[in-house]
Parts: sequence; C-alpha cells; structure tokens
Amino acid sequence: MTPDALLPVAVLLPLGVATLLLALAHWLPPRLPKVVAILTALAVCGLCAFLARHSLDGPVRHWFAGWTPDATHRPGIVLGIGFQADPASAALAAFCGLLFTASFVFAWGYFDTEHAHFHVLMLLFLAAMVGFCLTRDLFNLFVWFELMSVAAFALTAYPLGRSALEGAFTFTITNALASFLMLAATGLLYARTGTFDFAAMGQAVARTGSDPVLTGGFVLVASALLTKAAILPFHLWLADAHAVAPSPVSVIFSGAMVSLALFGLAKLVAQVFSGDPQVMALVRGLLLWLGLATALVAGLTAFAQRHLKRLLAFSTIAHLGIMLTALAAGTGTATAGLLLYVVGHGLVKGALFMVAGMLLALRQSADEIVLYGQGRGLWAPALAMGVGGLMLGGLPLGLMHGATHWMDVSAAAPAKAVVTLASALTGAAVLRAAARIFLGASGVPGPELLAPTEREREKADRPLWLMAAPALALVVLALAPSKAVMPFLGAAAARLRDPSLPPLTLPEAGFGHLTPLGLTLALLGLALLRRRAVRGVSRGIILVERRSFGALQALHSGLVGDYVTWMAVGLALFALACAGQAAG
Amino acid sequence: MTPRWRLVLLGLAALVLLPAVLRISLALPTFGAPQAELGQAMNDLVPGLRHVTNMVAAVNFDLRGIDTLGEECMLLCAVSGATVLLRGARGESGRERAGHLPGRPVTPRADATVLVCRIAATLTLLFGVSVALHGMTTPGGGFQGGVIVASGLLLLYLGERYEGWRALIPPPVLAVLEGGGAVLFVLCAGMPLLAGHPALQNLLPLGEPKDLYSGGLMVVVNAAVALSVTGSFGLLLVEFLEETREPAGDPVPEDSLPDTSLPDQAER
Repeated sequence: MTPDALLPVAVLLPLGVATLLLALAHWLPPRLPKVVAILTALAVCGLCAFLARHSLDGPVRHWFAGWTPDATHRPGIVLGIGFQADPASAALAAFCGLLFTASFVFAWGYFDTEHAHFHVLMLLFLAAMVGFCLTRDLFNLFVWFELMSVAAFALTAYPLGRSALEGAFTFTITNALASFLMLAATGLLYARTGTFDFAAMGQAVARTGSDPVLTGGFVLVASALLTKAAILPFHLWLADAHAVAPSPVSVIFSGAMVSLALFGLAKLVAQVFSGDPQVMALVRGLLLWLGLATALVAGLTAFAQRHLKRLLAFSTIAHLGIMLTALAAGTGTATAGLLLYVVGHGLVKGALFMVAGMLLALRQSADEIVLYGQGRGLWAPALAMGVGGLMLGGLPLGLMHGATHWMDVSAAAPAKAVVTLASALTGAAVLRAAARIFLGASGVPGPELLAPTEREREKADRPLWLMAAPALALVVLALAPSKAVMPFLGAAAARLRDPSLPPLTLPEAGFGHLTPLGLTLALLGLALLRRRAVRGVSRGIILVERRSFGALQALHSGLVGDYVTWMAVGLALFALACAGQAAG
Repeated sequence: MTPRWRLVLLGLAALVLLPAVLRISLALPTFGAPQAELGQAMNDLVPGLRHVTNMVAAVNFDLRGIDTLGEECMLLCAVSGATVLLRGARGESGRERAGHLPGRPVTPRADATVLVCRIAATLTLLFGVSVALHGMTTPGGGFQGGVIVASGLLLLYLGERYEGWRALIPPPVLAVLEGGGAVLFVLCAGMPLLAGHPALQNLLPLGEPKDLYSGGLMVVVNAAVALSVTGSFGLLLVEFLEETREPAGDPVPEDSLPDTSLPDQAER
C-alpha cells in the first residue's frame, strides 16, 4: 500500500481494535487485551514513523471517501475531510504511539479487568491523539479534541476515590467548557471563511486580513487549546487531574496530551492565521507574556510541593509555559525547538510519572516527606528520577538540551532568564524529592511542608523490573543526542508552515553553558541544607516566604467555580489585549 | 477565594468581554444571509452524486463520515466511562444476573401495565427501526432510530420488571451491539483501502433516490450507527438500573442476596 493509503489506517487501526475489544470483552481471556493493546500502540508508532519518513519527500495526503478539493470543480470549496501528514505531525503521532506502548507495558497487570475497559478507553484516547495530529480540517480537529477529553475524563476517575472523582470533576467541567469555546470558534471561523480545511481557511484569512470575527475565532480556539495545554490562567485543573489519575494515565496526560494541544495551536497559527496581522500580534505579544507568567508561577508552585505527582504536574505546567514562549516567537528555529521540546519533555515526564507510580505501588505513598529514606535500594527508579530531574533542570545533554538551545536563539535576554529560572526550579524540585526519598538527604522542609498531600496507593502486583524497564527506556531515549534529529527537525519546522518550503538549516547545539544546571544545583543545595530558623531576620524571611507560597497554593483551591472564573479572566485578558492593539 | 470575590472577578471579566462579544456579533454575517457557499455546493451537487434526499445524512455518513466515526466512538467512550464510574460497589466484572439490594422493595406490576408496555414497546421498536432505515430519505437515521429503539428497552423494563428485563437483554449482547456496530463502521471505512480506494469510498451501487435503498455505503454505515447507538444506550440503562447500589455508597457484600424466593414472588 502507498503511504497515502496508509494514512487513515493510523487512526482506523486503534479505533477498530478498541471497538472489537469492547464487543468481545466478555469472552476474551484477560491477558489478551493487554497484549493486543501493546501491539496496537507499537503498530501505530511504526506506521506514523513510516509516514513521517515519507512525508519528507512531500506531504502525504488522504481525502476521505475521495472528496478531494477539486471533486466539485468549484474553486475554494472543499466538501470532504482530508488528513495530511507533514513530518512534524506524523512524528508527534509516532511519539504518542511510543508513549502509549511504554505506558501499556508499565501498566501490565495493574488493570486486571474482565471487560478490558481500561484498554478500550486508552486505545480510543490514542486514536484521538493521532487523529488530532493528522487532520487538516478544523471541525475534525474538534471531534478528536473532544474524543480525547471524553476518554481522559473517564480515565482520570478510574481509581474512584474521593480525590480522583473531585479531580475528574474539575477536569470535566473546565475542559468541557474548552470544547464549547472551540465549537464556537469553529462556527465563527466558518462564518467568515466558508470552509473548514486548514489550507483553504488560511487562504481566506490572508484575503480578508484583520477582522473582528476572525480575531474572535482565534481567541476562542486559542483559549480552548490553552485550557487543554494548561496555560495560566486556564491551567488550574491540571494539577488536580494529573495528581489523581492512575500513574500510567498520568504518563500520557503529562507526556503527550497537554503538549499536543500546544502543537495544535502552533499548527493553526502557522497554517491558518499567519496572514492575519492582528492575530499574529496577539501571538507575539499576549501569548509570550502568558507563557512567561505560566513558567514562573508554575515553577515556583512546583518547588513548593511535597506530593510527587502534584509536583510533577506543576512542573509540566511550567514547561508548557516555556514551550508557549517558543510558539510565540514563531521563527523556524524556535518551532524546531518547540517540536523537539515536546518530545524530550514528554519522554522525561513520562519516566518521572512512572517513578511516582513505582513508589505508589512499592512504598504506598508519593509524598517525599512521608517517604523520607524509604527508597533506599530501589536503584532503577532512583536512576530514572535523578537523570530525569537533571534533564528538566538543564543538563547539557539529550533532546531537551538541544531543544532549549534552538528555542533560545531568538529569545530576548529577560525571557531567557525567566525560562532558565523556571526550568531550574522544576529540576531542583524533582532532585530534592529524589534526594529525600532515595538518599535520605534532607534539610528542614520549607514551604513544601504546607502543600496539600494525599494518602493513596496503587496495586503492587507486578515486579519492579517490569515497571522500571519502560521508565529507563524513556530516559535513555531522552538522552539521545539532538544532533541525530537535526536534519529531520529542519524539514519538519519548515513544512509545518508550508509544505513547499525548503528545509531549514539549524545551528548546531553545542555543549552550551552551565548556568541552568548550576542554578538547579544551587536551588537543590538551598533546599537540602536548609536549617531551622532561630534568629529574628531569618524568621522574618521564612514568614514572608511562607505567606507568599501560601497565596500561590490558595490560588489552586480545587473549587471548580474558581477555575471557571479564572478562565473568564483569561478570555478577558485576550479582549483587553485586542483593545490595546486597536488603541495603540 | 470567597464567593463574593469570585462574583466580583467574574463580573469584571464579563464587563470586559461584553463589548468584545458585541463587536463580533455585529461583524457577523446577518441572520439568514445565504453566504455559505459550502452548504450551497452540497445542496446542488450531492443529490445527483449520491442519490439521497436527506442532505444531513449525506453529510454525516459520506462527505464527513470520519467525523461521524469520531463522534460514534465518543458516545462509546462516554458509555464505557460511565460504566467504569458506576462499577463502584459492583466490582469491575458486573453481574451475570440481576442484582437486588436487600431490603429494597420490588414492586409487582399490574397486568394492565404489562400489557400496555408490551404493546407500546413493540410499536416503539418498529418506529425506531423505521426511523433508522429511512435515514437516507427523510429526517432521522441511525442515531435517532437507535435512541428510539433503546427507549423501547426502557418500556420493557417498566412492564417486565428489572429481573425479567435483564433476562431478556443480557449486557454482553448489548456490548456486542455497541462494539460490533462501531467495528462495522470501521470496516466500512477500511475495506475500500484494501481495494486501492480512499477510506470510506462509496463503492456500493447508489440505488434510486427516494428509495429505501439509496446512498450505497451510507445505508450500511447508517445501520452500523443504529446498532451501536442502541447498544450504547442499552448498556447505559443497565448501568443506571442496576439495583445493587447502597444508598450510602458502601460496597455491597459479595453475594449477600437471598437465594430464596424474593418477596414479590412469595406474594404471587
């Protein structure tokens, strides 16, 4: 079969397997769905990698039911839905397949259900993500976005505990609102452009130029995707949901789902809105500020957490903020950095959530203070967590290092400083927890002592090596030299915007400087060498510190009413930015 | 945040958003303005190309069939999610036979109820099948027909009581309908690929317009959706009607059900 014909198989295969499992679940032996799920995810990964390879020679397109744009003989009218694999989209879809494979292996035995519900939901989730990457139709994008959400709601609530249900509830409300926003955006954009196809829409937008309806459509679709991608002030649901979902699901949430939303936004900006000066001004202005604010606030909050999954969730938010700054920069090099960052961060975060899962299974807690010194002897998770933390904090090796280098090329100095500080904070937070759990190192706990924590555990029903193997594999992949993917990224970043553009030549990422890593280690040292305050001045400092971190924690109240209010504030920020542009 | 502050913040946000919303609504095409070229093109071209009179069905099952597959899976996903959430007290496996909560009264049905429900359920079933089958010619189709058939199942419950209902409709069969319908849809999408055509390509004979068989592959896709929707809503009903849940949410002890005669059988 040609690559064109294989393109829809990447979505139809997981859908078909999931529905078949659902139909026959009653009669299948309990192990079969697990094996089938692993093989399916692996097949999707391989298929999308094949498509990525082929799309280097030109985009791979597939028009469903043969409704190509010229089927009607009317220019500008696209009746059907098309899938299009450019190198970036197909590679990210392959990455999703890889992460699902690792997560299925990690979860082996954890979900012993007769009806294979977990695997059905996960495979539908995978199909939705692949469809989200490959589609070139706005309404179709909405359908996969929504399918992703529905699967994710159910998977979050899977443990059925009180906190799981609460987390899933806020997740459902905020993300369902995001879906409404996206649907409204689809309506507005259709009203002005008369089409759903990205390319045709892009042409129509370039013809129309700036227009309030187009800007409104962009604001709504951006808010929807920023909600999914957990950008301040739309981000509040994420920590609640990621902290309570079963750890194999959190791996997918933090590793792929949220950053995929950001990729969707990058694709829309590049392919649809690049001809609209007002929208591009919003992207370059407001989105940059939102990204920086997200990185800083979430980095600080991550540093003040004690529950490992919550800590990792806030670190994910901080890194999403960093990715958003690259999206806002919008240059080809920054886009290449963004694409690589999505993969590098996804691999690291997947491995770290697996470590949290291992601790929950083997030591019945994910609280770094409760677990003090309890991880001695668990060398595999310790290794994964240590290396993962170092990579988050700016280790000059591996995929994230190369990505940061390309993202920084065009960034201004203050933005660079904020990004460095945020990643150092998250890296130091992870390393601090690792040092406490696995080495028994401590210091007097600082603001993290006041952070919310949770008593939970996961089933300890599989050997350590089975859980550790996928985590270590992800870490090893993340350590791959970024030089190896440079030519591919150059082509991917250019073709995301326009399939006919020649590949970019990226500057080689050298060893770089050690400031980020040094900052990470300094923060780590600060946390571990902390002593009880006895004198007046240091007491005063600690009081101020405690108050300010308390205010940050209070923002994440867990009340869905607050979260929705902040979403409205986010929309209002967009409106203010538009008004500011019109005035200035 | 106190409720008062939340309201203030929300009010401020709304105050900022109001002019923006007004600005956009005034710039929108006026109501009823025939500007949508895409819609015009569909109405002009599709009856000739696909031999159907219901454009909505043509859009759903042919032009944008992959959207519908996604939405079908969304329904399936939501139902599986609901099953997962409601499995709480029952354990994951479900029960092979109808559960009964000790102490909850089982109301016997009057003969008149049974008779009326049996008649109405049959009629509803026929109506649902008819709506589903005529999807290509008149408003309706698989989604609507499937929901009507599933609501007929509810009438069966009303007439036959829970145990009789569960005996009539075993959940594994509903799951086969639900999953099998979706599998059929995926096959409709995938089979043309094997023959070297685009996915979902309408390769079957198109039939006569206004005929029960018109639209080619759309008829099969429509039937697949009808089966799947019936199964999904049926399963949802099973989940909600499962009578084993404690009001307080505490787990029911395994098999604490009295195996001896139930109260209502004793009365008879």
